Amino acid sequence: MQGEPTVQGEPAVHDELMALAERLVAAGEQPAPPCPDAVNAAMVRHWTQALGDASGAWEDVAPPAMIQVWSMPGLGAKKAGSVADDPLRLLNENGYTGVVATNCDQTYDRYVKVGERLRSTMRFGGVAGPKRTAMGEGYFVTWFQSWYDEDDRRVAEMLFRVLKFQPKRRGGGGRPSGAKPGKYPLRPTIGLDTRYFWDGVDDGELRVQSCADCGALRHPPGPMCPECHSTNRTYTKASGRGVVHSFVVHHHPPVPGRTPPYVVAVVELEEGVRILGNVIGCEPSEVEVDMPVRVVFQHMDDELVLPQWTPSDAPDPEPPAEEAEPDGLRIELTPTFVIATALATRDFTPVHHDTELARAQGSKDIFVNILTSIGLVQRFALETVPGGELESIRVRLGVPAYAGDTLTLTGERADDRTLTVRGAVSLGDHLTATVTFTEGEAR
Amino acid sequence: MSLSGKAAIAGIGATEFSKDSGRSELRLAAEACLAAITDAGLTPADVDGLVTFTADANAEIAVQRELGIPSLRFFSRVDYGGGAACGTVAHAAMAVATGQADVVVCYRAFNERSGHRFGQANKGGGAGSLGMEFSWHLPYGFATPAAWVAMQARRYMHEYGATSEDFGRVAVAMRGHAATNPKAWFHGRPITLEEHQASRWIVEPLHLLDCCQESDGGQAIVVTTAERARDLPNRPVLIAGAAQGTGPGQMMMFSYYSGDIATLPAMGRVGEQLWRQAGLGPDDVQTAILYDHFTPFVLIQLEELGFCGRGEAKDFLKDGGIELGGRLPVNPHGGQLGEAYIHGMNGIAEGVRQVRGTSVNQVPDVTNVLVTAGTGVPTSGLVLTAG
Repeated sequence: MQGEPTVQGEPAVHDELMALAERLVAAGEQPAPPCPDAVNAAMVRHWTQALGDASGAWEDVAPPAMIQVWSMPGLGAKKAGSVADDPLRLLNENGYTGVVATNCDQTYDRYVKVGERLRSTMRFGGVAGPKRTAMGEGYFVTWFQSWYDEDDRRVAEMLFRVLKFQPKRRGGGGRPSGAKPGKYPLRPTIGLDTRYFWDGVDDGELRVQSCADCGALRHPPGPMCPECHSTNRTYTKASGRGVVHSFVVHHHPPVPGRTPPYVVAVVELEEGVRILGNVIGCEPSEVEVDMPVRVVFQHMDDELVLPQWTPSDAPDPEPPAEEAEPDGLRIELTPTFVIATALATRDFTPVHHDTELARAQGSKDIFVNILTSIGLVQRFALETVPGGELESIRVRLGVPAYAGDTLTLTGERADDRTLTVRGAVSLGDHLTATVTFTEGEAR
Repeated sequence: MSLSGKAAIAGIGATEFSKDSGRSELRLAAEACLAAITDAGLTPADVDGLVTFTADANAEIAVQRELGIPSLRFFSRVDYGGGAACGTVAHAAMAVATGQADVVVCYRAFNERSGHRFGQANKGGGAGSLGMEFSWHLPYGFATPAAWVAMQARRYMHEYGATSEDFGRVAVAMRGHAATNPKAWFHGRPITLEEHQASRWIVEPLHLLDCCQESDGGQAIVVTTAERARDLPNRPVLIAGAAQGTGPGQMMMFSYYSGDIATLPAMGRVGEQLWRQAGLGPDDVQTAILYDHFTPFVLIQLEELGFCGRGEAKDFLKDGGIELGGRLPVNPHGGQLGEAYIHGMNGIAEGVRQVRGTSVNQVPDVTNVLVTAGTGVPTSGLVLTAG
């Protein structure tokens, strides 16, 4: 699916898996574990508080994105069976030990009311693969869960899809190390001989080392003057004007913290020394050798400033922070938020509340659970389209949203009934979602 | 007193060159060394010296243990990436010429494709002097060897009017040579200049096909005295010149801060020593092995080594000038662009085969071969001569 190339699987395993999938699909709908509680105001309030939904819209009806919460077994309950257990186990036993949820689509037939008792069923959707994916070779496994009211009328259906993959042999992950959320990853080492330069950058000055005895200028600096061997070092403040002596445009491979294409140039200063930096504030195609440039100071994050170069006639770059802030719903993913939302959705999987255990399993930290992600999409959608009535939320899952990060939800109206939503964290897209609204009047 | 002619290369040996050796780097080193020792008609018990790259992951004592060498009395390492290649043979030659050792094996072995890939973004060099060098560059996303070479290449184009097609002619020649070398990764896969031009940008002005491949493999070279080499089975390949060099304000790939960056002064320094030691000049070599991690530096090397004047390399290599049958066949094995990237050590082996007369792409009547090591960094070179 989604264009991943199909590859040759282990024939015997593949055939067994496909035969199993066929039997499960033919078996159709199966009873799922019971919903332990009626739809109730206490759990709704816990959920809205944890997710920060202050709309007050959920007095008589439950938030639709809560639908799966009603059938969650809770802490200590006997592990419920699932229609997907057998194929997942077969894949595990044959080296497809990795698992990552890729899709969660919910369709709402109607909103459920406080006091209603629900029951749910599951049916197996199918297996697709083997596919070569960024995670490794794997199979996509899909199943469905449906919820019914006391009159056996369906109120909601959910598609859930996971990728079971063979973790890559070496390293894997591929995420550059050393990158902290929100921190620009490419940081200079600063030493006794170079401190003056970076102090100057912090003060908005471009400093060039000069010999306190013979006056020779030098960049990059060093502890001893190569002309007169004096160790008396000082600096002069450069005018910040120069010309591009040479430059490159980086396209490949990926560099952490950078979006290609970008320009790196050796700039020859009026003072006669050369310095390296990025040329910003113009298209890469506009840069040429001998182009006059001037220094600008670019804030890479809260702490690091880099001296950069811009065409001498270009305006100063946009100041950081305020203007750079994207519109949308920003959610600080504090440990409290991650844990409270996991529990409010009755998800007691340890990776959502136990930091040490999450790390032991290879995660960077605890992370937001899927029931919360879909709940946040609902919250954002209804804050963006007040009074809208949700028909479906289809979520495609991306990178984890770890505690300590910030999740920013932004959206775009595709048409009257459709909103596309993007949820970004520092590692990239945590989710992309399509939300549809029912036609006609708001609820 | 001169080193010229005192030492010889008596054996060469390599593993296969691949993208995934499936073996440890130490195993590659041991296999390559054993093959070279066997080629020389010697046994590990004859070896008393080992030299490798500072960058190599296989300690001399580890290689000693694997080969069962009873003891060593000479071991050294040469720094600065691929610039070390010919330097290992220079150190070995000095050792045998001065009696510090009798038989020295120079080796380089790595899983550079399936393991740590040099072409990926560099993570920096710590808090030492090298880390400080990197700190003026990495924060700007200037993090890969292709980018570091591209900076000089752009200035070279600006100064002399060289074009991407001129760089492409190097790639076409190397892939043409590799096409007829069964050991080459790109055996049977030549390219056209149009394919070079159509390949994607890596770092402008460099296309993908300006960049050498990444390889797994090991290569070893056995050095002994000229006198002993004459008693061994192979035709001795005398080391007529062996030199290392740096340029003014030398940095590790970042020598942009003074002088003319359309040049490679470290290679100029190596070249002048080589010609003086060997008593030869550019007209006296029949083929050259020029380090080709990136195409533009092949042009600049031709100029630094005196094969043509400044800015004239683009004319030198037009019309097949560096191809087999041209005025100076360069890298008959296909170089690192075509055969494999074994940090220049596979080029030394090809120089030896050309002098022996045993290359699959043999240049006629070879008596002298020039070999160079990695450029943009402190570098080294050799002149090999029929003994």
